Amino acid sequence: MTVATRSQGKQPEEHQSRRRMLTWLSSFALFASVVLAAVSDWLFFKPRVTYGPNARFAIGKPDDFPPGTRISRDVERVCIVREGNKLAAISTTCTHLGCIVGIADTGFACPCHGSHYDQDGNVTGGPAPKPLPWFQVTLAPNGEIEVDKNSQVEPGTYFTV
Amino acid sequence: MSTPTETPSRTPLTTLRELPSNVWNSIFRNPLPSTDLERASTSFTNFFLHIHPVKVHKNTLRPVYTLGLGLMATFLFVILVVTGVLLMFYYVPSTTQAYDRMLDLRGTVAFGIFLRNMHRWSAHGMVAIVFFHMCRVFLTGAYKKPREFNWVLGVLLLLVTLFLSFTGYLLPWDQLAFWAITVGTSIAGYAPLVGKQIQFVLLGDTTVGQEALLRFYVLHVAVLPAVLVLLMAVHFWRIRKDGGLSRPEKAEKPAPEALPQAGVVKLKKVYGLQGFVRGPFTKVGNVPDDSVYSWPNLLMAELLVFALTISVILVVSLAFSAPLEQPVNVMHPPNPAKAPWYFLGLQELVSYSAFWGGIGIPGLMVALLFLVPYIDRTTHGVGRWFAKERLLANTIFLTLVILNIIFIVIGTFFRGPNWTFVSPF
Repeated sequence: MTVATRSQGKQPEEHQSRRRMLTWLSSFALFASVVLAAVSDWLFFKPRVTYGPNARFAIGKPDDFPPGTRISRDVERVCIVREGNKLAAISTTCTHLGCIVGIADTGFACPCHGSHYDQDGNVTGGPAPKPLPWFQVTLAPNGEIEVDKNSQVEPGTYFTV
Repeated sequence: MSTPTETPSRTPLTTLRELPSNVWNSIFRNPLPSTDLERASTSFTNFFLHIHPVKVHKNTLRPVYTLGLGLMATFLFVILVVTGVLLMFYYVPSTTQAYDRMLDLRGTVAFGIFLRNMHRWSAHGMVAIVFFHMCRVFLTGAYKKPREFNWVLGVLLLLVTLFLSFTGYLLPWDQLAFWAITVGTSIAGYAPLVGKQIQFVLLGDTTVGQEALLRFYVLHVAVLPAVLVLLMAVHFWRIRKDGGLSRPEKAEKPAPEALPQAGVVKLKKVYGLQGFVRGPFTKVGNVPDDSVYSWPNLLMAELLVFALTISVILVVSLAFSAPLEQPVNVMHPPNPAKAPWYFLGLQELVSYSAFWGGIGIPGLMVALLFLVPYIDRTTHGVGRWFAKERLLANTIFLTLVILNIIFIVIGTFFRGPNWTFVSPF
């Protein structure tokens, strides 16, 4: 019956709604701070530079890879393929769980979970979900072949030397 | 120092003579207890003992009920902290130095290999014991109301334990470590939408390298242990706030013959916490007393479990050395490349489908584990192993546990080069 009014000249409902408003605003501010903290943490932990090997690297002159070559360069994790005068760089990082695939008679085989790929990197068996990506190959001004692991090309895209 | 205002007998000599006992009494306010009141006081005047209640239910002390698994996990963690801190004095989280430091533990550090063995075997042990502790809690129905949230904390503790073990696995920087972490973090990459981002942030790079080693090191020695200690504290605190360890329903009911006869015991009216322990009963009213004093009963039980745990770890560490493979060679993954044994069930699943094996099924299992006490709202069958009323729940749980063990066994013993099926026999 009697609702205590704690300040003069104000209706109880006004009090209630102001209190509710302040509660709502402070809850919102708290929530916003938590979101802000989470975003800041994410930005902090996501490195802006990495210290690993360069994604773009030179592999040598075209003559270093005579026709018919299939060389797996394990440091850069690419396989250099030369057929005739056509060159390509196929990734040797298994698309399943990141192990290095080895060169097998039929193409590539992964030692970790048994994925198999054909000569062009298409999946022929095992749990790998995607074919091995092909990377862009270019000729640098100094005559060396450059591979850029940041730019993938359609499988079957060769660079003609 | 004596002053004229003190008693005449106080000479510097008496002060000196009384020094040891004065120091002792200033630290330990209680004499070694000989009465129930003193037994109670011992529990709540000592900082390290006051984690215990003054009295515990007899059921709590039955070895066949708890198997001491929670205590074992705790003690293994203590051993891990001590040996881990010691190992930190000789370890450098650098790709060029880490492996050499492992060799130094073998060659130049006194007790180095022994400490590493203790740390490794305790870590494996802790993963297994925490898992068994969870099985015990499930099979005795101990997660039911009012202990639902403590079960949730327990699942969190299991996950943190696994993550601690996983981050520690990389630190020796040998072939086993490198490829296990390569595979393990790639699994994270399969999470929908944010998977690749999470993998990148976890590794600090696109591949496992120096950044990953540093990140895993900081997580392993600082972040995760702190989280684990906090969760453990709440886990223990809640055991008491939830009314002690779970016990059969009938243990709560008063048995008629246990009721005190009127007039035999005259309770003096006392107030405060100590009042409850002054008389022979811990509870107010005509409730039979099925509890015993923590000192010495619970203390002795704990001491026994500790002695058992550390003995096993010492013997195993003397008998078997922790494996150390060749230094990391990013060009030649071992064939087959295997994760730590407790993840081999996952790796086996992953060999069928990376998403379902690595994210889908494990995610579903963990979600189910968290929800167990909120799905099963029945109140019967608490406090007994394999209670008849819980046949369905126990069967489902055991089936999943056994499936997990089968997958681990297949992944461990039946998988050879290129993850082809081999027979170990």
